Amino acid sequence: MASEILLDLTNTVLMGLLLGGLYALIALGLSLVFGVMKMINVAHGDLMLFGTYFAYAAMTLLGIDPILSLIVGVPLLSVIGFGIQRYLMSRAFGRSMEAPLLIAFGISLMLQNLQQILWTPMSKGLTTSYALDSFELGGIHVPLAYLLDFAAAVVVMVFLSQFLGRTYLGKAITGAAQDKTAAQLMGINTGRVYAFAFAISMATAAFAGVFLGLTFPFTPQSGISFLIIAFGVVIVGGLGSMVGTFLGGMVLGVAQTLGGFFLGSTSQMLVVYFLVLLVLAVRPQGLFGR
Amino acid sequence: MIKKLASFIVAILLLAALPKLGLPQEWILYVLLFFVYLAMANMWNLLCGYSGLISLCQPAFVGIAGYTLVILVWIGVPFYLAIAAGGIIAGLFAVLISIPVFRLRGIYFAIGTLVVPEALRILFLLWRPVGGKLAGGGAGYMLRGMGGVTVAHYYWIACVVGIGSFFLMRLILRSKLGQGLAAIRDNDRSAASSGINVFKLKLYSFVVAAFVTGVAGAVFYLYQGYIEPGGAFSIQWTMIPILATVIGGISTEAGPIIGTVVLVFLDFLLARYAGFSMLIQGAILVGIMLLAPQGIMEIGRQVRSYRLRLR
Repeated sequence: MASEILLDLTNTVLMGLLLGGLYALIALGLSLVFGVMKMINVAHGDLMLFGTYFAYAAMTLLGIDPILSLIVGVPLLSVIGFGIQRYLMSRAFGRSMEAPLLIAFGISLMLQNLQQILWTPMSKGLTTSYALDSFELGGIHVPLAYLLDFAAAVVVMVFLSQFLGRTYLGKAITGAAQDKTAAQLMGINTGRVYAFAFAISMATAAFAGVFLGLTFPFTPQSGISFLIIAFGVVIVGGLGSMVGTFLGGMVLGVAQTLGGFFLGSTSQMLVVYFLVLLVLAVRPQGLFGR
Repeated sequence: MIKKLASFIVAILLLAALPKLGLPQEWILYVLLFFVYLAMANMWNLLCGYSGLISLCQPAFVGIAGYTLVILVWIGVPFYLAIAAGGIIAGLFAVLISIPVFRLRGIYFAIGTLVVPEALRILFLLWRPVGGKLAGGGAGYMLRGMGGVTVAHYYWIACVVGIGSFFLMRLILRSKLGQGLAAIRDNDRSAASSGINVFKLKLYSFVVAAFVTGVAGAVFYLYQGYIEPGGAFSIQWTMIPILATVIGGISTEAGPIIGTVVLVFLDFLLARYAGFSMLIQGAILVGIMLLAPQGIMEIGRQVRSYRLRLR
């Protein structure tokens, strides 16, 4: 009896860790934009959901696999992100603290409404044949979708860190994030770099959107809860480090699955929100922050 | 001065007499909504425009006050008291959540406050404060025992709250609190070093805003007569005050009034296209922020200075 509970608990924690990968992936783009432009993109959740709905459209209308649809989805979201930064956000920068925030808020409202008109407020899911599969590992059932989430998160994070560390554009983005004026003096066009950073953030959001859709059902209103998860990961993980983001994702993922285990699945998100508020109250610089 | 005061009094008397003028009931309800939104917009202006607090947890105050109203009326408390109690509970709740969120600055504060209404919505979907026959999912309640109270009655309550919020703003801005807030907004370090308790003043304005927003929310649910968690903690309670303040002109006293007039008029025009209203309002918000970030008040000022130059 006791061993059965232990096994269930191990299963729950493992699921949480795998889910944490997805959460880290969701938070990656938010963290990048925040780190570079010192702006929290409140439309991040809705833009990500836009990617999810794009994959949903490709799947239901054309019969294309959601993961395969990323070939179009990633460039599409990048271009949208580039445009948002270049033509909307850049004009609001430096004007006041709340201007970019309110513009992002406006974009978030528009997307929410648009998705509601296009896809009805009903709950949808990227239900592919493999999304519901699971396999057994030493008595523990692991859904395939969770494993895919984790794998995708690791791949995207490794790729992004290599990109930021090795390419000219990546170094320019890092430079502009560290010291805007110094970067400008070195001949970096920070306006363009910001637009590329936003585009990259949206590329990660496209990945996050698809894997999120494979894992959870979603509605046009889901954007906010995923924004809060992303924000929670950034808060818990501390800002600026990719490892912190990854660990933050794990903490939130495990908190959610344990919350679901002990309190029932309806209140699992409540545990996550409470954890975010608790970390804010006790350690606003993040558990892994300095 | 006397002329200004006289026209002010006439305007208030006219607004108060509105339900007795035989206008269509729909119009009265739009003016009622105007007053409710005005109170919320004034308080958001106090928070964002004068205290530098970008609060996205206004739905929490509205929802909590709404639930307090409905539950208290449910157990037999007169609704006047229940409205006041709604505001007080919302104010106390603001004190409670200030513990985590007041450790955050600027944008962090905004997102920290965004968590609160989302958490409350889930909480109220799970938890039913009082038993009895309920309609709908989660903690949906009808406001009961309100027979014999006319629309005019609701209207006057909203009228008092809306106009009251305007005078409260005037009072606050001319008081020591307002002066201190202005000093903090201009430069928080020099304000702090001149002996202003930055934390305390911001907390005061947060609690006052929560109280008035709560009262306005309670009045709204008095008129609507039904509350459920999805609507009570909806993001629209953040959107309405932000839009009204931004359209009219943030950090100005008249801005929220002009903005609320525009917003309610838009509501009226878009009533037929309710499915698209958020799309249009979002586009307006983005457009205003890009083209006229100081709102209609700024446009008016520019036109006036242009005329002066022509002379």
